[in-house]
Amino acid sequence: MWRVALRDLQWRRRRFVIAVLATSLVFGMTLLMAGFATSLHNEGRRIVAALGADAWLVAAGASGPFTTSTPIPAAEAGRVAAMPGVARADPLVLVHSTVRRPAVRDVNVIGARPGGLGMPPPATGRAVARSGEVVADTELGLAVGDRLELSGRRLEVVGLADGVTWYFGTPTLFLALEDAQAVAFGGQPLAMAVLTEGVPAGGAAGLERFSNGQAVTDLERPLARGLQSIDLISALLWLVAAGIIGSIMYLSVLERLRELAVFKAVGASNRSLLAGFAIQAVLLSAAAAVLAVGIATLLAPVFPFSLEIPAMAFPRLVATAMLVGLAASVVGLRRAVSVQPALAFGGP
Amino acid sequence: MADVDIGDLSVEYASGGYIVRPINHLSARIASGELALLLGASGSGKTTLLSALAAILRPTAGTIRVGDQEVTGLRGAALTDYRRHRVGVVFQTFNLVPSLSALDNVQAPLWAAGVPARRARSRAEELLERVGLSERLGHRPGDLSGGQQQRVAIARALAHDPPLVLADEPTAHLDYIQVEGVLQLLRTLAEPGRIVVVATHDERLLPLADQIVRLSPAATAVARPPERLEYRPGQVVFEQGARSDLVYTVEEGEIEIVRQRADGGVELLALLGPGRYFGELGPLFGLQRSATARAVGHAVVTGYAPGDFRELVGSGVGLPPARQARTPPCPEGPDGAK
Repeated sequence: MWRVALRDLQWRRRRFVIAVLATSLVFGMTLLMAGFATSLHNEGRRIVAALGADAWLVAAGASGPFTTSTPIPAAEAGRVAAMPGVARADPLVLVHSTVRRPAVRDVNVIGARPGGLGMPPPATGRAVARSGEVVADTELGLAVGDRLELSGRRLEVVGLADGVTWYFGTPTLFLALEDAQAVAFGGQPLAMAVLTEGVPAGGAAGLERFSNGQAVTDLERPLARGLQSIDLISALLWLVAAGIIGSIMYLSVLERLRELAVFKAVGASNRSLLAGFAIQAVLLSAAAAVLAVGIATLLAPVFPFSLEIPAMAFPRLVATAMLVGLAASVVGLRRAVSVQPALAFGGP
Repeated sequence: MADVDIGDLSVEYASGGYIVRPINHLSARIASGELALLLGASGSGKTTLLSALAAILRPTAGTIRVGDQEVTGLRGAALTDYRRHRVGVVFQTFNLVPSLSALDNVQAPLWAAGVPARRARSRAEELLERVGLSERLGHRPGDLSGGQQQRVAIARALAHDPPLVLADEPTAHLDYIQVEGVLQLLRTLAEPGRIVVVATHDERLLPLADQIVRLSPAATAVARPPERLEYRPGQVVFEQGARSDLVYTVEEGEIEIVRQRADGGVELLALLGPGRYFGELGPLFGLQRSATARAVGHAVVTGYAPGDFRELVGSGVGLPPARQARTPPCPEGPDGAK
């Protein structure tokens, strides 16, 4: 009976194509939403990994290195470096600021010791070697040799980093420690955290240890509501897709009531008739999902924030779409089961 | 093979809140190789009887035997097998699947029964050739004339070579040229080993038949003298769904006209005293009784043949305005003389 289902799809191909297009747009949106959420997660992981630390030490009681407002003396790095299990310790300044380019742009500022932890090698140019230099994220559109003013300090771009952003693609500036201290603390020798190479064995008085994972969690905490909203919108989009598939399938059943009655009258089983509709629902969903992959890939670059759609999201979309398509057709399938073969008799 | 034996068959169903009995104690026997016409006006139960023969509708009482198989008792796999292999149906409106070509339409019942694709195809080609459509295999129903569609429908009914072929109003949607071809085809199907049952209201088909099963009585009743009939309390004059023969006037006592409701209840339509008449529409128009007439106490009525009754009404002698038994009571009016 699958042949009948396929012929019927051919017969109603215009409607099928319209349904596939509409559903694929919705599926495409869910992919973009997934990409959005993944980008937010990945940004955090990437910046934490880029800083190259094994552990983070912040003021005791602080919420975490990215969200705390309690600085510690930068000199604590010396004490931490002496702790067992620590090969190296460097202070880190994290602060949020703005630059004019010429419009105001938000930037994340990281201050670290040149050559130390927290100062990743740039993609082009060289790392910050001394005060007055900056490595900027390519997002800012700067070139090596450009000049930049940050909180009244003139800095020279010596290198460009790629993909070091957090909080919705906000680009990062890497500065020498003292420049960042000048921006954040008016020049006082303070830091927000001490990064260590090797994990300190014991506790240090007045400090609290964070793993990289905990640092990521801290960075993402302010995003939680945003991420939940994205998940919710995704769920709603799935409902819309299910609604489209469900109503198309239901209409299709309604139009084929007489045909179903005839098939039942000639002894076709309910199961084979339902399988026909199920094949149509699955084909519709799968075609929409495949088209959605193309739509999402085309639309992703349009967003002002680089969307990273995880590779697994594509096969997962196709699989989930087929399941949702089947589930959405249940109402139509139930209608199909309820058709009485006696309907085949009688006039038009 | 296989005579068809219909024994005391009744079919009852609820319609509009009332019990309707389109088939009331019908018995008939159709021998193998015969073409039987089910003849009757619309609403006389032709389609109902076909549905029962096709094992699509379960009768309320009675039996249908096809050969040694009792059809009314079939369930589950046996029912599916009967529908697939023992009976083929040509539906009134052809009921071809619009998305399928003529060939696929004929193959569909074979697919449904799990016949291998190649065998299904060659069988369908053979059948379409037999009905003269070998040039139209790839055409969809929309590209075929009514007569061609009907022939595809006949080929589809023959897919499993069933011993019983049912056709519901096969000429209803065809012009006379197409009718001729379809009739010839149906006639040739009734060959030893196969029975063809054709439901129709078209009396032109009469010469085609080996046997005729009339589902509504002819409107012309036999002339017979008026009959004086006495009834005991509660005795039934005629029953809802029964064939109509006489028109009655009440002479003594009271007659109640009641209608059986689908929910099992009974609705009193009228209570008629001496001088009133009832039950006239059934015999005049060849319809079944739409309600039951029953004596309330001891009652005496006179039964007239419809022709006599018509004369009686025409002469205006001795008949006050009367309530008759076909229409529901009208709340405000006294008795509508219909």
